[in-house]
Amino acid sequence: MTYSNEAIGKLVEPARLHRNIYTKEEIFELEMERIWGKAWIFIGHDSQIPNPGDYYTTNITHKIPVVMTRDRKGEVHVLHNRCAHKGAKLVDTSCGNARAFRCCYHGWTFSTDGSLLKIPNEKGYDNTGFDVKDPMNNMQKVAQFENYRGFVFATLDANAPDLKTWMGGALDVFDNLCDRAPEGEVEAAGGVLRYEHDCNWKLFLENLNDTMHPMVTHQSVVQAAEDYIATLPADAVSQRAEAEIIPPFGASFEEFENTGITGFKYGHHYDGGKSSIHSNYSVLPAYEDAMIAAYGEERTKEIFSFNTHNTLYYPSVTIKSAVQNIRVVRPVSVNKCIVETWSFRLKGAPEEILQRTLLYSRLINSSASMVGPDDLEGYMRIQDGLESTGSDWIEMARQFGSDKDEGDRIVGGGTSDLDMRTQYTAWRNYMTEAYGTEGEL
Amino acid sequence: MSDIKKIETFLYDEADLLDNPDLDSWMNLFSEDGTYWMPVKEDQEDALNHVSIFYDDRVMMEVRRRNFVHPRAASKDHKVRSSHIISNVRTAGNNDKGDLIVTSNFQALVFYRNEQRAFGGKYVHHLISEGDSYKIRHKKVTLINCDAPQKSLTVYL
Repeated sequence: MTYSNEAIGKLVEPARLHRNIYTKEEIFELEMERIWGKAWIFIGHDSQIPNPGDYYTTNITHKIPVVMTRDRKGEVHVLHNRCAHKGAKLVDTSCGNARAFRCCYHGWTFSTDGSLLKIPNEKGYDNTGFDVKDPMNNMQKVAQFENYRGFVFATLDANAPDLKTWMGGALDVFDNLCDRAPEGEVEAAGGVLRYEHDCNWKLFLENLNDTMHPMVTHQSVVQAAEDYIATLPADAVSQRAEAEIIPPFGASFEEFENTGITGFKYGHHYDGGKSSIHSNYSVLPAYEDAMIAAYGEERTKEIFSFNTHNTLYYPSVTIKSAVQNIRVVRPVSVNKCIVETWSFRLKGAPEEILQRTLLYSRLINSSASMVGPDDLEGYMRIQDGLESTGSDWIEMARQFGSDKDEGDRIVGGGTSDLDMRTQYTAWRNYMTEAYGTEGEL
Repeated sequence: MSDIKKIETFLYDEADLLDNPDLDSWMNLFSEDGTYWMPVKEDQEDALNHVSIFYDDRVMMEVRRRNFVHPRAASKDHKVRSSHIISNVRTAGNNDKGDLIVTSNFQALVFYRNEQRAFGGKYVHHLISEGDSYKIRHKKVTLINCDAPQKSLTVYL
């Protein structure tokens, strides 16, 4: 069936959603075109390609291959990963360094900025009307790409608002992540974990600020850790970062309620601000000293006191500024996506800070962790359960009617479904092509 | 019994404990400072400054053992069955702690959530001689697809 904009609009009501959003391939294909094909999508961090000729490949939608490159002059580009000749994917390795990109099939060769360098036996095109100088014979740049403090985003929509406008108030969390570095910059470090999720990509996003699940879903690991910690001597416990990281997943409804949720236009949101489950991490004295030396005491305090849990830049990336890791979702099909976890080094901070970040990524986000698999179990059961014809609807009504509109943002209780309502307002606007016309929040 | 036969017997017994599964006994094969490591990168040398799929010491093994049997761990509702095959067992001298370095190849079939998955790769064991047998100071499991996207892995391999 083909969905009209009117029919799509009816799948999202103010406080409930139709199950077809998660289960229908036609909807997924439309999402790839209208959400992933229009929004700013996180490609990578420029520290992944530090030297001229470095490249990193990924897909910008479920299928469209792109390559992030650093050219000879040091400029970063995001290019369509396609030979201008027969259309072959030009770069087929995940990352590396190249003097030029040479197509494996007929040897058309492109500079690392995408411009065509050489066609073998070029004289065969003489007097044919085919113009080898036509810019269409370069690797094509994606419609727009921008680098914000090292984080490279791209959009396939030439009419998309600029990246900062699109991020709105959610930009504060990217700034907070970078500001936590004494040198004001971060770099990708310690590799990536890739976790295959047999579920619709949106179910992963919906979990990020779902604060009604941790005390249920993660009860087992919190109890296992707390019971065992109780048997250990206090000085042994104080040496273990795990003892700070795992127990807050069992925080109470009241504690989560107090963190609050803040939503923005285009579907972005975070929970926390004044406090989060990451608030009570100890601060290494050498790190605090480096921060105070760089920023002064007052500004350091301000940076540390802005403490969010997960911040979603809808639809592709969620960051934890207090932990310094990010997760990137790459949709594959209506019931499959890959979640990548990348960790970041705070430049100018002691190495132990990166080690804690990597410990967190492994302990919480690995496919073999004791947290991620219990989350995924929930998403997979939703994916299966939504095939039921028992009802067409799922609800997102917690604290509906209490969300406060503050102009550039909407704020509400930490255990509300404000995050869901924010995502699905954006979903409906993208999917019914309402952005750019009325552009409602 | 020759040393290599003794080592092979030890590795088979370890695999058996994982297949049973009997995590309590398996953990006790490790020394007090023992570690279990599954890197995410080929030739990864560092478990602290690079992320890994697993890196557990005895403390985290103990937490994991309790989590495995907790009635509210939803991902453990589905029982896991596994079958390990170990081969190409070779010794590679001693490290600076005096531990015997043993390398081997393994394949493990794992049945979980109605799906059979095949894992394979290389083991490196650092073994401490103890009486007639050994304790494991360190076990490194490098999957041949260590850097590929992985589904949930709720058992040690």
